[in-house]
Amino acid sequence: MSEEKKSETKEFEPKIVGFLCNWCSYAGADLAGTSRIQYPPNVRIIRVMCSGSVDSMYILRALLEGADGVFVGGCHPGDCHYIDGNYKARRRMVLLENILDTLGIEKERVWIRWISASEGQKFADTMRDMTDAIKKLGPNPIAKKWNI
Amino acid sequence: MTKQKILKVKNGDINSAVNDFLKELLKSGKLSALLVPQAVPSKKVVFPVLVSDPNKLDANVFAPLLPVSTAKMISKITKFQPSDKPIGVVIHPCQIRALHELVKLNQASLNNIIIIGMDCMGTFSVKTYTDLAEKKNPLDIILDDLKSNTDKSEQYLRSACVVCNQPVPVNADIIIGVFGMDTSKEILVEAVSESGSKIIDDLKLESAKDVKKREKHIKDLIDSRTKKLEAFIKDRKKHGGIDGLTSFFDKCVNCHNCMKVCPICYCRECLFDSSVFDAEAYKYVKKSESKGLFKMPTDSILFHLGRMNHMILSCVKCGLCEQGCPMDIDLMDVFIPTAENAQKEFKYYPGKDPKEKVPMVVYREDEYVDVGEK
Repeated sequence: MSEEKKSETKEFEPKIVGFLCNWCSYAGADLAGTSRIQYPPNVRIIRVMCSGSVDSMYILRALLEGADGVFVGGCHPGDCHYIDGNYKARRRMVLLENILDTLGIEKERVWIRWISASEGQKFADTMRDMTDAIKKLGPNPIAKKWNI
Repeated sequence: MTKQKILKVKNGDINSAVNDFLKELLKSGKLSALLVPQAVPSKKVVFPVLVSDPNKLDANVFAPLLPVSTAKMISKITKFQPSDKPIGVVIHPCQIRALHELVKLNQASLNNIIIIGMDCMGTFSVKTYTDLAEKKNPLDIILDDLKSNTDKSEQYLRSACVVCNQPVPVNADIIIGVFGMDTSKEILVEAVSESGSKIIDDLKLESAKDVKKREKHIKDLIDSRTKKLEAFIKDRKKHGGIDGLTSFFDKCVNCHNCMKVCPICYCRECLFDSSVFDAEAYKYVKKSESKGLFKMPTDSILFHLGRMNHMILSCVKCGLCEQGCPMDIDLMDVFIPTAENAQKEFKYYPGKDPKEKVPMVVYREDEYVDVGEK
């Protein structure tokens, strides 16, 4: 089999950009690691201080640069280290999804989940669910666009 | 509190009737200055002019032109330091809404500002206005329409004005009204706030007798415009996803003029004008290699979507972005449906309630509880 054919038959492995808050979700991901819980390696984690600091621009840029999925992880509502950052992140996500919906861009590629520092298992499960869901959606069509 | 008075119109010249009224406000010292739409010396266009000498006042309040955001001009005047002298600002309804949004965003102060709103019969693009002005006074075109209750001038209106269902000032201090009035004889001056009535109280003006006709005219106008707005949004329901969006913005040259003329965009330095997106040559080559090719300049869709995310909830649909676009991109096609949907989601209507905070700085614990949960 030629080199080209091999890559065609290879299963699609989505690239997911994950913005995890320093105080909960990042620690949750860390716990998943130290507890040796296995989860798909598709997510590329970027640590941020708070889910409320994730501007819609970060998410849009990842999507437009061709990421197949974008994940935002924050503390559970009420547990924010900065009191209300995740409540604001929640509103911002509602706005972003509304805009993407109006414009007909797949909002299903953007996920937000609340994962605490003790929920290593939940983080691993969420990553597995998201990877499966994005695999079903297929590659991000924007990745091939060269005139954006 | 509402006080309705009449300005007498002589020889069908509504401009001099309004000017006499405004001059009186300056002369009496009730206002130290007035920001009014007034023709520049070449007479080609009408711009906001800050007049303090009543003898130099020659306002063209109802001229169908909005070359720059008046709200932004008021922000320029009051942002650095609130005015200590009373300034009257004569502005369009959309700009009143924008002004209240700017106040919420701490970009303007209403201290000593008297908002004098005018009924808006719609505005033409700067090019249409200057072209028409060579032959006849553009003001006459819309006034003829108003008198005969027709919409012949619609062909000249900017697309934002054609579907505008908020042509009457809201949250102003004083309203200068023409809708439903016999403009060959009289126009309406209405004080709707306390500071507004203080200003017009001492003037010897006749009280308005019957405003039923005006109320009906306004209701009919808003109804028909709302229908047009709904049809406009329905026509553009889906933009065909990313393919539709890229072809829509294909002509964009990244000049960012839409952002510069927008009354809501106020950042001193926009992220997109900064060097955040600059990269070394090898990164450009690498990016090209990953797709085989890519268009320069980059990131125009990111700019429009990013800007949209930042300002859409305060978007007053004035259409200045479209007027400012040098490449004639019909920006309202995207911005009006997106603004309508997003503002409906948060039940937030810019300029409607000056006390209500912008949605992105507040939250409730019990809202959107299903977001972030499977």
